[in-house]
Amino acid sequence: MKLALARALLRLFAVQGSYNYERMLGVGVGVAEEPLLRDLGDAKYRPAVARGAHFFNAHPYLIGLAVGAAARAEHDGASPDQVERLREALCGPLGSVGDRLVWAGWLPFLSGLTLVGIALGAGWMAVAAFLIVYNVGHVALRWWALRAGWTHGARVSVALHNPFLQRAGAVLGPAMAFTIGAALPLTTQYLAWPFEAGARITFAVVAGLAFLALRWPGGAGHLNGLRLALGLAALALVVALVWP
Amino acid sequence: MSLALYRIDDRLIHGQVVVGWGQPLHITFIVLVDDEVRSSDWEQDLYRMGVPPDMEVIFASVEEAARQMASWQTDPRVGILLVGDVNTAVSLVEHAPQVRTFNVGGVHHRAGRTERLRFVYLTDDEAAKLRQLAARGVEVTAQDVPTAPAIPVGDFT
Repeated sequence: MKLALARALLRLFAVQGSYNYERMLGVGVGVAEEPLLRDLGDAKYRPAVARGAHFFNAHPYLIGLAVGAAARAEHDGASPDQVERLREALCGPLGSVGDRLVWAGWLPFLSGLTLVGIALGAGWMAVAAFLIVYNVGHVALRWWALRAGWTHGARVSVALHNPFLQRAGAVLGPAMAFTIGAALPLTTQYLAWPFEAGARITFAVVAGLAFLALRWPGGAGHLNGLRLALGLAALALVVALVWP
Repeated sequence: MSLALYRIDDRLIHGQVVVGWGQPLHITFIVLVDDEVRSSDWEQDLYRMGVPPDMEVIFASVEEAARQMASWQTDPRVGILLVGDVNTAVSLVEHAPQVRTFNVGGVHHRAGRTERLRFVYLTDDEAAKLRQLAARGVEVTAQDVPTAPAIPVGDFT
């Protein structure tokens, strides 16, 4: 079974490969679950694989939990309806726990740390360290999720109550805010350093006005960070051309 | 205010509901109406995990929901009511006629359903039931997130 779990883990890296609106990540989930269903016997194998590929959506790093839990439930003789309900019930929590933990935690936390490192002169070392550390966490999370699902089956909520997971979620939020908060001024200083004093003051004034413009209630819905940044970049390009 | 949204979504509680709708509407509670989830502890445990700790989740069967509808509708807090499929929505309106709107937020592919919108797949029977609901005066629209336009029932069933 170790080999089947390793196969499932490898396939999980491609879980987003057939993303579409009809089944979201469903087909990818079915493909990843298939190695865990091979020993079910012919009569149960085919319908179980087909069920595995039904509609599914969740965070890609935690989705192994659903793959493992559904495969375990199939082995435990759960009815097709129970397996479907388990899958449905897992979409929401796996999505929101994963979003909090990874997209709003681990990833921006390490990105902020990396930017701080670069601003303080760590250079490419910081980038390499980011790629290694981020992916150690990422692969560990995928492997833990698959193992936890496979161990607990339908009682998989036990795994989601894991104190480490809870604490990581609680710590990463503020930690992320701290590193991004530190990265902003440090990165700005790092990028503005080569310019002369007048240009840096102009930059600070423009940044301050842009911030106020984004906070201006009348701009809601029309103005966002990306549009404003693109507009300012275009303006800078024009100024540079007519006033070399 | 009170119940700011009555929604059909087969994923029930998930990010689009909690964050996408929950934040702009400033909700502090979610009513999940589903007979099967009501009687299943492990499913309730999972759904509770999808919401922030300070948000209350109330699980109710259709009949319980009908009995408590008035108190939710006059609750000083703002909440969202969720059902998982068209049949539960119809049954809820039959038991609690004071439900006057339904938002079709996400009904996904399953055998027998065909695509009506990117996020709405319905069997012909489900589409007919939604039209009947509208004919009885319930305002039925499809809208996945608050920033998208609300599509009237006639345009997608």
